[in-house]
Amino acid sequence: MLETRDLTLGYDRRPVLERLSLQIPEGRVTAILGPNGCGKSTLLKALARLSAPQAGAVLLAGEPLGQYDSRALARRLAILPQSPVAPEGITVRDLVRRGRIPWRGLLGPWRDSDEAACREALAAVALEDLATRPLAALSGGQRQRAWIALVLAQTPRHLLLDEPTTFLDLVHQIEVLRLLQRLNRDRGLTVVSVLHDLSLAARFSDHLILLGPDGLVAEGAPSAVLTPDTLHAAFGLSALVHPDPVSGTPMVIPC
Amino acid sequence: MRRLLLMLLALLALCALALMRGQLALSPLQLWQGLSGAEGPAHLVLAVIRGPRVAAALGTGAALGLSGMLFQTLFRNPLAAPDLMGFTSGAGLAIVLAMTLGLGLPVPLVAALGGLIAAALVLLLAWKPGQALAPLVLVLVGLGVGFLTQAASSFLMTALPPEQAADAQRWLTGSLNARNWGHVALLAAGLAVLGLLALSQIRRLEALDLGEELAAGLGLHPGRARIAIAVTGVLLAALAVSVAGPLPFVALMAGPLGARLLGRTALAPRMAAAALTGAMIVVAADLLARATIPGLSLPAGVVTGLLGAPYLLWRLSREMKKGEL
Repeated sequence: MLETRDLTLGYDRRPVLERLSLQIPEGRVTAILGPNGCGKSTLLKALARLSAPQAGAVLLAGEPLGQYDSRALARRLAILPQSPVAPEGITVRDLVRRGRIPWRGLLGPWRDSDEAACREALAAVALEDLATRPLAALSGGQRQRAWIALVLAQTPRHLLLDEPTTFLDLVHQIEVLRLLQRLNRDRGLTVVSVLHDLSLAARFSDHLILLGPDGLVAEGAPSAVLTPDTLHAAFGLSALVHPDPVSGTPMVIPC
Repeated sequence: MRRLLLMLLALLALCALALMRGQLALSPLQLWQGLSGAEGPAHLVLAVIRGPRVAAALGTGAALGLSGMLFQTLFRNPLAAPDLMGFTSGAGLAIVLAMTLGLGLPVPLVAALGGLIAAALVLLLAWKPGQALAPLVLVLVGLGVGFLTQAASSFLMTALPPEQAADAQRWLTGSLNARNWGHVALLAAGLAVLGLLALSQIRRLEALDLGEELAAGLGLHPGRARIAIAVTGVLLAALAVSVAGPLPFVALMAGPLGARLLGRTALAPRMAAAALTGAMIVVAADLLARATIPGLSLPAGVVTGLLGAPYLLWRLSREMKKGEL
């Protein structure tokens, strides 16, 4: 279980989020939502120990993240940042292989288990056929799937993604969200992502964390979190919330 | 793999050529006889003069090539080489300083200290708190530190007796003249340790290549990883400097040239290619330096300087066209 206890985050001495105590439900898909600058990414980075808390702690299986050896942590928890850097000329396979770094150490050989993890990661994102292609030759949606394959090759139990659907068109956004949902359903992977589109987040997540300018607004099941009141508190937005005619999940209609 | 093998063969051929040419030219047969241990003038030339000289060139070039490749990959900039960033001239200054003061310290140790101090100085001057290091700033600051250390070396040499000053001058240009098997042993031991250390940086470089955050997500401490890579690079450059002086531009040229010859982007083969190319450059430069003009033996550093300066200009113009400068 990944959780925060009295977590305070911020830059310099200005706290962005204060005394936040949250539990990320194990084996579910969670989305972190909120307006720009409310600390969504900051929270996600803290959950992956990319930024140190000003106060409080993030706990994984009851242990503060600070207590973990960084390689041991990287084997259990993977994060895909918003804009990772693609090495020049790299192929999809070579990119995915780098996900095995926490398992190999500095001089460790390439083992069968590494090969198997990469093969499985490529299969999970349906890129086996494009494995030898240069990453740069792929479409935007395929490229994002390749990056997801890299973090999947880490074989984590917790997968964190910072705005994995930004810069993608609607079809590819849905494709990525479906993929994350399938990874969760098939493998029991705990998925946490920062998302922008409220209705899509509601549709493809089990659990929502809604942040506003003054911190946490609501958390829980999508239908409980997305209401006209919470949307007003978080975004200052007047909106209606209706059940999605296909899935029954809340759909946000600004008015 | 095939290209690496071809490069290795080219290097061996170059070494054979370097062993045959010189004031006393040897035929391939004489070379074979000399190498296989038959007594005679060929054996003497190979065992005492050209053997250690070519072996020293080989090792120095490999060390410089590896060092350059580490820095260029670390800073994602083809201009980030230990010679342009002032580390080799820092190592050179330290050696001249030890000479002047008459300190009896081991030369590799002095060179390593000088290189590390120069690197720390460059880092300190180029670094702004809370900002990522800009490679170009690093190179420019490094050039400044390089000029400073070269000026200091020149100044120190005026304090040396003329004979020693001439030695120091030749040495500071970068020369493989009169290297002996002791130098080769030092290079071999140093390369064995530092080469392994360089290999162990591949995983770190591969992670850092993906951006700071993803690298951290893969279990790296980006700051510590950078320092480990940079220290390995400085020590490799210092090893080369302690044997052959600060041969200019070898570290700058070896990485990109090796990558071009290799035609691949994976780091491990690129590292091997950089070492092989560095070795080829220095062996060839030393051969040209002593065997092109009859009766005149130039320091190898003059040749690498003549080759490297146009390369640097070409590289600068290319980076400018790409908008990186």
